[in-house]
Amino acid sequence: MLKYLLWPIALVALLLLPHGLSFSQQEILVFLTINVLLVSTYRLLTLTGEWSLGHVVIMGVGAYASALYTKEFGLFVPVSMLLGGITAALIAILLSFPLFRMKGFYFLIGSFAAGEIIRLLWKRFREPFGGPKGIKGIDPMPDFSIGIYDFDFFEPISYYYFAGTIVILCLWVLWRIEKSPVGLTFHAVHWQDKLAEASGVNLRAYRTLAFAIASGFAGIGGALMAHYVGTINPNSFDVEVMVFVLTWAIVGGTGTFYGPILGCVLLTVLNEIVLREMGFEQLRPLIYGAILIASILFLPNGLESIVQRLTRKEAKS
Amino acid sequence: MIELLAQTCLNAVYAASYISLVAVGLVLIFGVMGVINFAHGELFMAGAYAVVTFYADLHLPFLVAVALGLVFVGCLGLLMERALFRPLRDNPLGGLVASIGFLMILQALAVLGYGVRMEHIPPVTQEVIVFSDKVRLPLSRLFVIIAAVVLLGALWYFLKRTKFGWALRASAQDPEAAELQGISINQTARIAMFIGAGLAGIAGALTAPLVSVNPHMGHSVIVTAFIVIIVGGVGSLEGAVLASVVYAVVHTFVTTFYDGVIADIVGLSLMLLVLIVKPTGLFGSADRA
Amino acid sequence: MTNLLEVKDLTMRFGGLTAVDHLSFTVKHGEIHGLIGPNGAGKTTTFNMISGFYKPSGGQVLLRGEDISGLKMHEVARRGVVRTFQHSTLFAELTVMENALVGTHMPFRPNIFAAIVGWDKEDRRGAQARAMEALEFFGIDHLKHERAGDLSHGHQRALGLAVAYASHPDVMLLDEPFTGMNPEETRRMMDLMEKLSHEGITILIVEHDMQAIMGLCDTITCMSFGKFLAEGGPDEIRNHPDVIEAYLGGSRNVA
Repeated sequence: MLKYLLWPIALVALLLLPHGLSFSQQEILVFLTINVLLVSTYRLLTLTGEWSLGHVVIMGVGAYASALYTKEFGLFVPVSMLLGGITAALIAILLSFPLFRMKGFYFLIGSFAAGEIIRLLWKRFREPFGGPKGIKGIDPMPDFSIGIYDFDFFEPISYYYFAGTIVILCLWVLWRIEKSPVGLTFHAVHWQDKLAEASGVNLRAYRTLAFAIASGFAGIGGALMAHYVGTINPNSFDVEVMVFVLTWAIVGGTGTFYGPILGCVLLTVLNEIVLREMGFEQLRPLIYGAILIASILFLPNGLESIVQRLTRKEAKS
Repeated sequence: MIELLAQTCLNAVYAASYISLVAVGLVLIFGVMGVINFAHGELFMAGAYAVVTFYADLHLPFLVAVALGLVFVGCLGLLMERALFRPLRDNPLGGLVASIGFLMILQALAVLGYGVRMEHIPPVTQEVIVFSDKVRLPLSRLFVIIAAVVLLGALWYFLKRTKFGWALRASAQDPEAAELQGISINQTARIAMFIGAGLAGIAGALTAPLVSVNPHMGHSVIVTAFIVIIVGGVGSLEGAVLASVVYAVVHTFVTTFYDGVIADIVGLSLMLLVLIVKPTGLFGSADRA
Repeated sequence: MTNLLEVKDLTMRFGGLTAVDHLSFTVKHGEIHGLIGPNGAGKTTTFNMISGFYKPSGGQVLLRGEDISGLKMHEVARRGVVRTFQHSTLFAELTVMENALVGTHMPFRPNIFAAIVGWDKEDRRGAQARAMEALEFFGIDHLKHERAGDLSHGHQRALGLAVAYASHPDVMLLDEPFTGMNPEETRRMMDLMEKLSHEGITILIVEHDMQAIMGLCDTITCMSFGKFLAEGGPDEIRNHPDVIEAYLGGSRNVA
């Protein structure tokens, strides 16, 4: 009984949530929604066992692509967002050729280098990327009405509903993939790639597939961000943001689907609500750094391990 | 044209000197601890801020400030070894991620302590050696070059000729066998960390009056150091020095004849190319990944 | 019986060392074929070349006349030649059932779009059924919800075979399947292999310990120092002077 009520209740809670918040908190909620997608795609990437340091830049590829498609070709924003995601996935496939010749720590450094190259290209080429200042005045999502609700995208609430719908859709797809035989194959590639290969799994193809899917959805996340903020530049996607994503994933734990989301939500609440209210916002990198170290040292399996311990106890008693 | 070439070469030698100090420290840490220290650029930055504090603010003699920088950053290295790398010894990726966390902390502390603005450091000397009209070498740069040569020479002597150096190399090659020989891993890790971090710190301290000192300066330093250690072969000290020279020459020339951003792109592409074609590096065969 | 797998002049050099030197032998359809030799004879290297784990320095591996040498492991597997691993190489973090499901990767190739929309129900059911069949075949179906890493040693070995069996192989390459087993486990393992053979699966076993496979194999190829030494039925090999010499000379592990 409770099981069937859980999802509708969660949905209503998500719908009502922004109404209790201030304007700036609503804006944070929009970013949080996008970040949830970003960190979930990062988990998909880590499913095959490789940790990338270029993921945020790939998200930026989606943002830049979508912004440019609307600007240069006047595309309808949702269409250009989708194309932004596809562009990010294609770039990822292109990058996979050099990157998947490396493994482990070399992959980490290689992905970092590839990301830096992309960022430098944005910085260097004023046409079309706008150089260090980036792209300004990106087309916002055009307002529309669905009868019961008028979307006015000047309001963060409207964008929250819009982005939230897209993010939930994306998460659903990611979830379906993970729970499918394809997802099982990703796990197999991670845990014992030689045995997977002996079972006929094309390792390279599956690593590339995971990389491309993760990048594609991250690209959609980037596009959602770009059309909300209205301006992007190479520094919007720098290493610091990558460290935030890494921290969310590690603090939450990457063993389960919900782990990284948990990490992202909790740390955002901590950061934006607690720190900002207390006036410690300047300390954000410091606190993130400390949390990252603490969780690596004392909670190597992330917050999800605590949740699992609790639920297991409950199931037993 | 000849003069431009000569000047570019001088610039390259200067760049190679401090890059190799940073890279050799990074390789030393990796060799002994098996961890890639992502915070190495921030250790460089810490060295530069030591000079800001002791030389520019407290008006101590420059050399004293540099020495204090070396000791201060070396101690930061010891702190990292004890607090991060030792508990994570069996988890190299964890060590790397922890060093990213440390990087964030150092950067934030610099912002808190000094603000994000660029620091102004009074020049140590204005003297310039004039070879000809267009070929000049500021004395302060020559000083960095000489210091780098002396330090690397001293390191070489230490590693090849002393008992500590022997222990260090032994545990870099085979930690377990070294431990059986009675070499304490903790001891060698401390020495490697102090020297490795100290080298980054002294490089930052020496060049502080010549570059723009700000809390985010570590980023380009670590990117450069990564390129150099990959190109030189991870784990090879000689490779790191050689690769520093190669990188400095390529980067300086591309900067002079095209522009700085293109030079960065060329450097990173060089690194990707090496990673793809010969992951053991151009000069190294030692590999402990 | 026809030749299914043919090894021709197979050679592997590591630097200056020649681990396998112009080795030739053939595996006939439906037989259990043993590849034996003392330590360091190059058995495992040969095995790794046949399965696509190593690329040979020279020579060929022919499957039904098609050259498969130098293909990647998954390409070899897709042609029906599936290998197992020494020790207990499994997906330790996954359940027994999930392990077997990975084994069904080839007959039920996952399709990502069908998986998202839900049009692959039939395939998923088929894969489940096949995986279950494989687990039942090796008598470990009652353990299907266990974590593979938690299984006993013998069960892990059985699961390793089940993963390979789930893919409907024509040839199974078994890498030292009896290592570390007590006589009871060895006997049970031999029964399983007989059973596999009755299913029409051709089996190539690489084994150091001669005793274990004497009663099992139809044909045995013996190699020593990377070279072909002798071939024949178990009795022939048991009494072959060169084989006795090689085992006595190499290590004291006479059959």
